[in-house]
Amino acid sequence: MTVTGDPAIVLLIWVLLAPLLALGAGVVRPRWAARGGVVGAAVAFLLAIRTVGGPASEIRLPWAPSWGIEATLRFDGLASLYALLATGIGLAVLIYASAYMPIHLHHEHKPERDGVRFWVLMTSFMAAMVWLAAAQDLLVLFVAWDVTAVASYFLIGFDSEKPAARRAALMALFVTGVSAIGILIGAVMLRTIYGSLEIGVLAERVQPSAWTTVALALIAIGALAKSAQVPFHFWLPRAMAAPTPVSSYLHSAAMVAAGVYLLARVYPLLAAAPDVREALVVIGFLSMMVGGLLALGADEFKRLLAYSTIAQYGYVVVMLGLGGKYGIAGSALYVLAHALGKCGLFLTAGAATEATGEKALSKVGGLGASQPVLAVASGLCAATLAAFPLTIGFFKDEVFFEAAHHQGRLVTALAVLAAASTFGYIARFWTGIFLGAPKQGAHALPRRLVLPILALGAIAVVGGVKVGPFAAIASAAGQASSPGLKPLTLAYHLEASPANLMAVAAWGLGIAVFLAARHGRAALDAFAALGKRFGPEHGYIRVLGGANRLSDVIHDFEVHDLRSRMAALLLPAGVLVALAVLATPNENAWSVGVMSMADLPLVLAMIAAAIVGLAATIPRDHLLIGLLLSGVGYSLTIVYALTGAPDVALVAVLVETLFSLLFIGMLAAMPPRLLDRAAGAVSTDIRRRRDVGIGVISGILGFVVCWGALSRPAAVESAAEEQIAMVKAAHAKDVVTAILADFRGLDTMGEITVIGIALIGLLALLRRRPAR
Amino acid sequence: MTLFTSLIVAVLFGAGCFLLMKRDLLRVVAGTILVSNALNLFIISAGLSRGAVPILPFPDGELADPLVQAMVLTAIVITFGVAALLLSLVYRVYTSHLSLDLEDLAAAEEREAEDDDRPDPQADEDELWTTGEDER
Repeated sequence: MTVTGDPAIVLLIWVLLAPLLALGAGVVRPRWAARGGVVGAAVAFLLAIRTVGGPASEIRLPWAPSWGIEATLRFDGLASLYALLATGIGLAVLIYASAYMPIHLHHEHKPERDGVRFWVLMTSFMAAMVWLAAAQDLLVLFVAWDVTAVASYFLIGFDSEKPAARRAALMALFVTGVSAIGILIGAVMLRTIYGSLEIGVLAERVQPSAWTTVALALIAIGALAKSAQVPFHFWLPRAMAAPTPVSSYLHSAAMVAAGVYLLARVYPLLAAAPDVREALVVIGFLSMMVGGLLALGADEFKRLLAYSTIAQYGYVVVMLGLGGKYGIAGSALYVLAHALGKCGLFLTAGAATEATGEKALSKVGGLGASQPVLAVASGLCAATLAAFPLTIGFFKDEVFFEAAHHQGRLVTALAVLAAASTFGYIARFWTGIFLGAPKQGAHALPRRLVLPILALGAIAVVGGVKVGPFAAIASAAGQASSPGLKPLTLAYHLEASPANLMAVAAWGLGIAVFLAARHGRAALDAFAALGKRFGPEHGYIRVLGGANRLSDVIHDFEVHDLRSRMAALLLPAGVLVALAVLATPNENAWSVGVMSMADLPLVLAMIAAAIVGLAATIPRDHLLIGLLLSGVGYSLTIVYALTGAPDVALVAVLVETLFSLLFIGMLAAMPPRLLDRAAGAVSTDIRRRRDVGIGVISGILGFVVCWGALSRPAAVESAAEEQIAMVKAAHAKDVVTAILADFRGLDTMGEITVIGIALIGLLALLRRRPAR
Repeated sequence: MTLFTSLIVAVLFGAGCFLLMKRDLLRVVAGTILVSNALNLFIISAGLSRGAVPILPFPDGELADPLVQAMVLTAIVITFGVAALLLSLVYRVYTSHLSLDLEDLAAAEEREAEDDDRPDPQADEDELWTTGEDER
């Protein structure tokens, strides 16, 4: 293991310890889990800050050396950015949650100790994100990716007694988990073609080709599904069934951000697949439009924000598709600014619901009068999303416009339209909650539900006034995606540059959109209904429903009795084996082998075994079957003895004797009438013929496989030679003994464990039966 | 020898599979044992070399492949463990159902399922695939 650079490795280890810290604290006292989680996140955040701008320290862990796979982790600019988000936003969310979760648990009538799970899962989620951010090879990346999916599954389904939460969790897991398999396939394809899983190495080797495009498209699809882009967007609004802190984290810094992170991480490879990049632009714009329209029509706070997230990550996807300085580094800045604003607004949604007990825009209003601090804090976050000057959000749109306006009129117009709709729905959200006449009473909020929002808003304003450090972080992230990229230099320019004109147009149009959305609810609702009726979610439900029915049919067949269960195992196994045999090239592969007179005893012993084995299928009497089974065993013992395996023969004699005694003893323990009834249970003729057919087909298949395998002793040199040579060094006389007790001692230990478990099971089964 | 051994393995395997399909539980156990025996024979035949016993001092000429022997040894012992467990399961089935006929057992299982007045787990599953708009 080579390690260079301190804060990075300390961070990587610390985030793994944080869940344990939360768990440990929670075990001592449930209330302390929150403290453990907050401390874990705070320390992680400090460590993440220290990685910024440092040397890109690298950690290599040998993983599967025989396959040339090393786990490579490096804190470059991109890793630092996402680690900062995961830990920093995580800290804000966890501080908020330390006040929110007790109230939430109280509302749901759950004991305090249920909350411990939340803290452990959230810190695990954070750990997965940090590892994901630092991953430099596709395998580590895939593992961390799946850990985020699992963590989010449990977090979205936190209120597991609610069907909606369970459904949402399952949907998120399905959509992001199934698409993640595409990432794995893509990674394996790249490794097969270019011989490495490390992104840096791959970047030097990739060449444009159809297979490269397919592999990268699979990876991009996984990323887009995670980032809830059209047509995979439907899982994200459902995921709001999670407690608010979870939604907030999911949308701003974790799960959904992971998708665009992956695109940025594999960006060097995308150069070899221009088609994929073009597709990104199209999908990004589609997501902006769909998300924007749905957000303009949504009524629930969290639903509105969920749709807005779809649209906002659409921006990022478009920017990555467009590329260039403003596209790549700009997308990093966009993610940063969006995380600050969106996290704050989600926390606002939770706080507003907490204060009023309502969840929808149509039920609230005028909260600004009773909650002025919340209104201001949330206003700052909203302002940054709506790209007001003096917030960092202004620059996120600025870079977007810079990236877009070189790409022709259509892209320019779409960019302005998208920014205008963002302005529109963010304005709807904020004015809907805080302005107008109060429609409900509101009670005071704990400070910890407001302060994190204020902090996020304040950072957004600091970024708007002094954008340098933020631009530097974004530039470093951009350089990780595309080495040699010029750094972003951002400042306010009061001039009629294209980007400025686009920004002004977006505000003007945004006000128009905001006003139009108020009066055009019917059209927006119709759009949402259309999506529900024909959209991808409908397809998802149909597919899952079909799969479920198919599974029911197979299940009903399978569980009928033991025979059908066994058939359900044997049949597919047989089909698979047959397919494998067919797929294996078989020309000149069959060897009859030589047989000499010296083999005669062996041949006779084998024939005896076969005849006795066949005979065992015939008799009615159980005792006879038992004896014939022993006959097979003893015949094989002779075979072992004749093939130079005295150890095996000795053990086989012992085991066969024991087995015969056991079988006969078991027969003696059961009443003869019962045994006779079982023996006389005659199957129907059809059944009987089918059983014979199954036996014959199995035999033929077994024969083909066995002959095929024995015909080609593939290994040129066997491991046996090596082990024979080592016997003296092992101070043994018998090679087989040395193998069992020494060279493969671990296997033998496993074997002893199996026998031990069988013994325990046996004792449990043979104890006197309980009263029925 | 290759072809011959394969035939023997196939006969034992086929006979075992035939017994596995029987209604009588004890025959099912006998079937698993025959299948295991067939596989043990297959493994020992898969040795890359045939020859003298691999015990010191080695004689001249080729040694029998010790690796497959070690594997078969393990397999035999595990087979015995499994067989013992299966037989005690059979015994247990006898004590609780007073029958070794699979048809009887399937019928008993169905009766139990009917007697069970818990709500159908299927109902809960079905609801998982609806959109769930109504309960927001």
